[in-house]
Amino acid sequence: MSDDGFAVRLDGLTKRFGKHTAVSRFDLEVPKGVIYGLLGPNGSGKTTTIRMIMGILHPDEGHVSLFGSDPDTTRRTKVGYLPEERGVYKKMKVLELIMFLGEIRGIGRGEARKRGLVWLERLGLPEWADKKVEDLSKGMQQKVQFISTVIHEPELLILDEPFSGLDPINQDLLEEIVMEFHEKGTTILFSTHLMDQAERICERVCLISKAHKVLDGDLREIKTAERKGVVAVEFDGPDGWLEGPEVAHVETHNSAVHLLLKEGADHQAILRRGVESGAVIRRFDLVEPRLHEIFVRHAGAAAAGDAGLPPEVVAAGGVR
Amino acid sequence: MNMVWAVIRREYIQRVRSKWFIFATIGGPLFMIAVLFIPLYFQTRNEQAGRKIAVVDRTGVLAPRLTSALSDGGYEVETDAWSDTIVPHLTQAVTDKKLGGFLILDDSTLVSGQAVYYGESHPSTLRALTLKQAVVAAALEQQLSGRDVDAAAMLRGGTLQVHVLSAESDVTERELAIGFVGAFFLYMVILLYSVAVMRATIEEKTSRVVEVVISSMKPWHLMLGKILGVGSVGLTQMAVWAVSAGLIFSAGIPAMMAAKPEMGSLADIQSLAPGVGMLVLFLAFFLFGFFLFSSMYAAVGAMCSTDEEAQQAQLPVTLLIIVPMLFMSSVMNNPTSTMAVGMSLFPFFSPVLMFARAAGGAAPFWQVGLSFVLMALTIVAVAWVAGRIYKVGILMAGKRPTLPELIRWVREA
Repeated sequence: MSDDGFAVRLDGLTKRFGKHTAVSRFDLEVPKGVIYGLLGPNGSGKTTTIRMIMGILHPDEGHVSLFGSDPDTTRRTKVGYLPEERGVYKKMKVLELIMFLGEIRGIGRGEARKRGLVWLERLGLPEWADKKVEDLSKGMQQKVQFISTVIHEPELLILDEPFSGLDPINQDLLEEIVMEFHEKGTTILFSTHLMDQAERICERVCLISKAHKVLDGDLREIKTAERKGVVAVEFDGPDGWLEGPEVAHVETHNSAVHLLLKEGADHQAILRRGVESGAVIRRFDLVEPRLHEIFVRHAGAAAAGDAGLPPEVVAAGGVR
Repeated sequence: MNMVWAVIRREYIQRVRSKWFIFATIGGPLFMIAVLFIPLYFQTRNEQAGRKIAVVDRTGVLAPRLTSALSDGGYEVETDAWSDTIVPHLTQAVTDKKLGGFLILDDSTLVSGQAVYYGESHPSTLRALTLKQAVVAAALEQQLSGRDVDAAAMLRGGTLQVHVLSAESDVTERELAIGFVGAFFLYMVILLYSVAVMRATIEEKTSRVVEVVISSMKPWHLMLGKILGVGSVGLTQMAVWAVSAGLIFSAGIPAMMAAKPEMGSLADIQSLAPGVGMLVLFLAFFLFGFFLFSSMYAAVGAMCSTDEEAQQAQLPVTLLIIVPMLFMSSVMNNPTSTMAVGMSLFPFFSPVLMFARAAGGAAPFWQVGLSFVLMALTIVAVAWVAGRIYKVGILMAGKRPTLPELIRWVREA
């Protein structure tokens, strides 16, 4: 196998746990240099997919290739992996931990130390370098783990729910750093259930629900294609007319109500119904759908409901 | 291989730096010193009070012999002639602390070795024994006088000079004792450090660090690094112990003996000091035993997710190291029997039993050599199987595998 221009390529990846199928015939192609979002609610198979990419789980069927070659040899130096369930050697000192994890990915101790110090400075932890990891707060530990993920300057970053458990300020900081890596040409594949964030930073997204791929492609193209799917309405008066055979889901977004339309539905019919009902319609606008709404249209409201779970639930829940 | 080094270094530094390691490494020799010297110290200190003893000899013949015997034992002896007032007089001297006690000898002493001792408090076992032996020896020598009898030597129980006529090597009691003590110690350190490998594995699993580490290196390399790292910690600790034991035996005990000649039993302890050859043998058996058992314990650790689970799962492995301990006394009672040879050649039992026999001088060179060859082959086989279990287990969450599942792991890994 030779370099095929893809950082990650998955062919028909399938993983079963007993009778439960966690990931089913999953294909994915992540071109080099792209920032790719793997989106879906808890239990949809994101983490299982990532673990198979990382060689932690063995797929029952299908094939993984990284940079067009055997993943086992490529992974060590070219990939940085931030697992969903964070794990560190708690008794180690912060800088030593970073150095150790750099060392096992093939960089020298001196170099690892130098880079580690720069990163600690950048993430606001310079005075913690010689403290034990267990003395750090959860959020700080997570930053340390992020540092150890990127210490060897990998060509591919695989981040499983990188932003969960961080406060908004640190989420922004991490996002900024991720975008910097992206600008330097690093390929980034990350999973999240935070649709708004994914919408902001991803170039390409893949939506998974219940072990199956729902949507996959360039975010802008997806949005354009879905353009007819969402109507923003502002009105006074009765609201019974909003429900109808064309409408899959109704939700309030800012001052407007967003109607998610079913595939091929006629929005004119809704407008007619509204006028007839006596409502005063101030706005009836086909809008660019939010990623969340696209997801709801394709995976159903029930699946999307799970996707809005707060991070605490994610940390506690057994995502398989 | 750099990764393995990194794992070894991490394991080593973390452990050597821990409070427990420092405590055990320094505490071990201190404990040994305490066990050896404190009882001796107290015994001797009690004896210091009143080493001056009066002897009232009503027989008129025993005093000179007794006096010289007791003087050799570190007592200061004065002899008094018998009178009606001597008992109250000497009692007063004891009360005034001018005298540690006094002995009264009469005709029954010559016949049955009976004597009367007056002291402020009950004499220590050591003192009672010394006095009794001195009195009896004096009486015997007096009764057998002119026949040139060393009654003291006879009283000590005599000596049996043993000549072994077959080709088997000669085993002395002293060597057997070293074998016993050494094998027990070997059993402890092998178990201690092998279990440490298991615990480290479980901790890595439960803390989830292993996901990150395994994505950067082969499981086999991680296991190897762990074992070598923990093993070097063990070697370090034993080196510290060996050096301090060496100091105690070569400098500490002789110094004590010079300062307090009355602590005669120090010589017995001194005679147990192991030689360099013994230490090398010990080290070799430790390394082989440790590699053998630690890889099995690593596999057990990889199979389990909690310490409680591991408690149960380690039982078969632990049995392999406990069983030879149970057979040790029967093997050592007859160290050249077929059973002893057979059991000590069984690779899992060799570290304990072959060492005990070799240290006791009961194992010919070829048997020791053969046991190392067998252990080496077993280590390769065991590490191969354990490595496969480890590879699957280390990333497995959930319940412990059953035996058929384990066999599948080994086949498919």
